[in-house]
Amino acid sequence: MFVNSVLAESNSLYIGDLVFYIVTFIILMLLVKHFAWGPVTDMMKKRADKIASDIDNAAKSRENAEKMAAKRQAELQNSRQEAADIVSNAKKSAETQRAQIVEAAQNDAQSLKQQAQKDADQARRDALNGAKDDVANLSIEIASKLIQKELKADDQKALIDSYIEGLVDHES
Amino acid sequence: MGGDALTFKLFGLTFNTTNIVSGLIIYAIVFFTLYGMSRKIKMKPTGAQNVFEWLVDFTNGIVRSQMPAEEQGHYSFFAFVLFVFIFFANQFGLLFQFHWNGAEVLRSPTADPVVTLTFSLMVMTLAHFAGVAHNGLGGYLKNYAKPFTLMLPVNIIEDFANFLTLGLRIFGNIFAGELLMSLIANMAFSHGILTIIPGLLLELCWQGFSVFIGSIQAYVFVTLTTVYISRKISE
Repeated sequence: MFVNSVLAESNSLYIGDLVFYIVTFIILMLLVKHFAWGPVTDMMKKRADKIASDIDNAAKSRENAEKMAAKRQAELQNSRQEAADIVSNAKKSAETQRAQIVEAAQNDAQSLKQQAQKDADQARRDALNGAKDDVANLSIEIASKLIQKELKADDQKALIDSYIEGLVDHES
Repeated sequence: MGGDALTFKLFGLTFNTTNIVSGLIIYAIVFFTLYGMSRKIKMKPTGAQNVFEWLVDFTNGIVRSQMPAEEQGHYSFFAFVLFVFIFFANQFGLLFQFHWNGAEVLRSPTADPVVTLTFSLMVMTLAHFAGVAHNGLGGYLKNYAKPFTLMLPVNIIEDFANFLTLGLRIFGNIFAGELLMSLIANMAFSHGILTIIPGLLLELCWQGFSVFIGSIQAYVFVTLTTVYISRKISE
């Protein structure tokens, strides 16, 4: 009553503004939520998730890399060891092979030497035997030529044989 | 400031033309600013998106400092829109003040107690609603008898005082700012060139200060909003 009679002339209390601002503010909130706030906060959340997962992934891949490096190191160590083994094995087998070859060569040489000795002995013996016969015949021939008249081969043969026997004994 | 308000009647309710026109313009500014800033949303933010996200972080920070973590999500959006709207409404009157036929057409809506009390009413309604929703009606009523029963009348009065101070604080600051601004303008044009130059300088200083006050008041309003809500939803 008071408001109506006094303020109606100049100003009345504009309660309509209250309704207007409440309604429009709610509309503004709906519009902003749909067009601006929603997409941006979604993206902020997505980014936060992405950063978190990136950090996790980075830690994981770092761990993997470290594991891989350790593995490589171990493998390298192994291959070094293997190489050393191979070299030492080769050295050892070469050593034994050398020894074998040397031994075989020595054996060969030994047997060759013995064979040669044997052959030489044989040849000498053959030569002596041949020479013995030749000398006997030759002596008989010479003797028969020298003493054709009285001397008989049978009388002189014992003398020549003893002489040649002494020659052979002296030779050997 | 000065002159009668232009009013019209609709559905038996009286509307203030100044507030309606200024309010609609500010709604448009707020919406299109936020709309424009959130167009090219990228995982790696650039330009306007950075500003938008900083603003979101800023109002989220206000809410975060007052509320338990599980409740923040419900009110951060309200705090964000409230802050942006009140900020623009506070600055609007510094740039545009139109008078036509002895009445104002454009000014800050927050320089009007009806408008600021409307927002205050919205906030308090939300706070009481959140209180009932969070604690149940029994818990909500029991909160009035805390810390002991004798405090009951004080708590009830405090609720009304909160409602009034929340609205009237911002009204007082912005209204005073605009009032002083028109007074300086009147003074500047009172004695020709003699007063225009000092008037201009004074107006410049006061406008700068008013920008500061408007920002602070928007921040205070949103902070108190979250304080009142968190007080109601506390056990």
